[in-house]
Amino acid sequence: MKRFWVSVVLACSAPVSAIAAEGERVEVRGEIIDTWCYYSGVMGGPDAVVGTAHHTCALWCSAGGIPVGLLGEDGAVYMVLKIEADDASASGDTQLRLASHEVTADGMLYRRDGLNYLVVEEVVTDHGITNLSHDIYGPVPGFAIPEPAE
Amino acid sequence: MTRIAMTTAALCLGLPAAAQEFSDGSEAKTWNLAAETPARFEATVVDMLCELTGDCAEDCGGGKRQLGLLRSVDGVLVYPNKNNQPAFTGAALDLAPYCGAEVEVDGLMIEDPELGATNIYLVQKIREVGASEWVTANSWTKKWAEAHPDAEGKGPWFRRDPRVQGMIGESGYLGLGLEADEAFIEEWF
Repeated sequence: MKRFWVSVVLACSAPVSAIAAEGERVEVRGEIIDTWCYYSGVMGGPDAVVGTAHHTCALWCSAGGIPVGLLGEDGAVYMVLKIEADDASASGDTQLRLASHEVTADGMLYRRDGLNYLVVEEVVTDHGITNLSHDIYGPVPGFAIPEPAE
Repeated sequence: MTRIAMTTAALCLGLPAAAQEFSDGSEAKTWNLAAETPARFEATVVDMLCELTGDCAEDCGGGKRQLGLLRSVDGVLVYPNKNNQPAFTGAALDLAPYCGAEVEVDGLMIEDPELGATNIYLVQKIREVGASEWVTANSWTKKWAEAHPDAEGKGPWFRRDPRVQGMIGESGYLGLGLEADEAFIEEWF
């Protein structure tokens, strides 16, 4: 029994980096999203906080330093930590310019504690904004577009 | 042997130490989010890109890079997506002064298996381990105001931010161009 607990202590004291997953090369296609609104549900369900309906809010959140993610065609969210040479993952210009865009990205994927992290080495294709969700949801949140003056 | 390995893994990963355990002693205020759980814990503030890839920056990027919380008790990397302001603001600027430091944080953990949300955090309060006073994680808008003394117009920062204004001025609120905006606004309002 003593030997078991010694093994546990030794195993647990191994450096975290020693058990971290290695990166793998991937190509992912999906939409650059605002992760907080998507994960928290603060603005509504997941389909309402993507695409054109949520574009203005996606700009606000990206400029405000909320992490952006790439919502892949597989339904998984890839938290974006760098896009090409721009490592400004909090309020950076490159991620702001790509808000709501569908992109095909080539890069390195790291998995850690249940989340996917993506270091984009190249935006292979910028498909533009393709999810016309405003047709269904209108602006999300409703005040994203100021009501025109009479 | 398999059972021993699984038990060891469970002990190492702190599997029983799920979100519920971290709610002990938390004074976090609810945001009425379906997947929120109060969570207070000690952690080291790390540069996410550095922690995951070895690509490190001085001062963790000084608020330009996303920062993480490497939880002391189990080594789990928690990702703070949000600070304590209801203003579309992240947590990196609030955490940046603590780069590399051991801190205690209090806030809300988001766990939503259907969306793949796990270890996502809203940080409400921070203090260095051993410090008595908490610091509320609400510095973003003040720092934005200091960086944009000439921002014109009235209202909250997100209505006056020059980059956001530039993007909307160029491609509209929907991102599809000004003509598409005009048609939609006429129909919607």
